[in-house]
Amino acid sequence: MPKRKTEKKKLNIPQKNPEKLIAKDDVRIDGRKLDELRPVKIEVGVLGNADGSAYIEQGKNKILAAVYGPKEVHPRHLALPDRALLRCRYHMAPFSVEERKSPAPSRREVELSKVIREALEPSVFVEYYPRTSIDIFIEVLQADGGTRCAAITVASLALADAGIPMRDLVVACAAGKVDGRLVVDLTDFEDKEGEADVPLALMPNLNAITLLQMDGGLTVDEFEKAVNLAIDGCRELYKFQKEALKSKYVAVKEAVEE
Amino acid sequence: MSRSERKSGQFVVPGDRLGVIEEFTSGPGTYVEHGTIYSKTTGRTLMDTLNKKVSVYPLVQAVGVPRVGSVVSGQVLDVKSKVGVLRILNVGKRSLSGFFTGILHISDVSPSYVETMFSVCKTGDIMRAKVISDKNRTFYLSTADKNLGVIYAFCSQCGHVMLLRRQRLECSRCGNIEERKVTSDYGEGAM
Ligand SMILES: [Zn+2]
Repeated sequence: MPKRKTEKKKLNIPQKNPEKLIAKDDVRIDGRKLDELRPVKIEVGVLGNADGSAYIEQGKNKILAAVYGPKEVHPRHLALPDRALLRCRYHMAPFSVEERKSPAPSRREVELSKVIREALEPSVFVEYYPRTSIDIFIEVLQADGGTRCAAITVASLALADAGIPMRDLVVACAAGKVDGRLVVDLTDFEDKEGEADVPLALMPNLNAITLLQMDGGLTVDEFEKAVNLAIDGCRELYKFQKEALKSKYVAVKEAVEE
Repeated sequence: MSRSERKSGQFVVPGDRLGVIEEFTSGPGTYVEHGTIYSKTTGRTLMDTLNKKVSVYPLVQAVGVPRVGSVVSGQVLDVKSKVGVLRILNVGKRSLSGFFTGILHISDVSPSYVETMFSVCKTGDIMRAKVISDKNRTFYLSTADKNLGVIYAFCSQCGHVMLLRRQRLECSRCGNIEERKVTSDYGEGAM
């Protein structure tokens, strides 16, 4: 029965998996250009209980960051005599991905917590607060690729919102290779189906990279291009970061003056 | 924006360039790296053209942290014969993120000899003290000043507020009389 066979074949192809990730006219599956970021929305100061907080939507990513401190270190023996202990907890909500994620910290979350902390630490004047801790909590409410970068971008704003002295903001963005083409700010689908992913975090005024990773394969030339593409993405995102701080603090001050 | 174009009152975030050290000195809220002055906080610029100094007036400040020399206030958690434990809740007038723990040793209570801590403070009292050391990850406190000591005491019999009458602390409810190392402004409500 040949007819039934063709029907079955059709059903096996998931509707949302197109054959090509990039169409002939350089348009990606979500309609973006190769060097175009996903839509970004950032808000600073969204949690009243935290000392600092921020929220980001980048494409389908929705991430909250809260900062507590500088405060007394518990357990005591972890306290550092010459600087603050910067701690970070990256966590994905059980409902953040299509298949329910166990709420217990996974190996990936533990690693990302460390990666994010190390990307943020160079920006913070931790030496001003010896024997204290600064705790960053990152909660991914919905994930769609590039959450580590969006988490760094939003956590840096939460630190600034907590009034902690900083050398610069940290902003992060990924570039990668999809269908043989270099693109910026990959979605989860592009990340999984693509050839390479290069997340990068930047202190834009100091021109210092605080995180650079690569997953997949790129030639030296492609790698350099990907890094530059990610840096351009960071600079674009930085405008949103700055605007978010401005709209909180300038709006508040003007409301007080009125 | 060229560096000399900066005016007072401009909104800046951490990392914004404010000038170079050949032009300005670095004031509060700023730091210098490789000859360039940057903001280290979210705030507004203050350009002192007379003294050639650039500062940032902060629009947000970090929560307070006790430091050696700061006057702190908090609640007495525990009292032993030689030592009292204070849960520090305020540094000056600024509140904290959670609390810090401070230790008041009997030798730092007063310039004169004190027999026992139980005549200085009791659990639950509100105290004002000065941080004199932060060795070994601990804040050591002193109340050896007339402005330092218990600012609110509670009756150990019934828990009501003690009132200061003729240099003695008397319970506002049961009339119980107790001893404390009180401040000169005891009961006036100032933290
Ligand atoms: Zn009483």
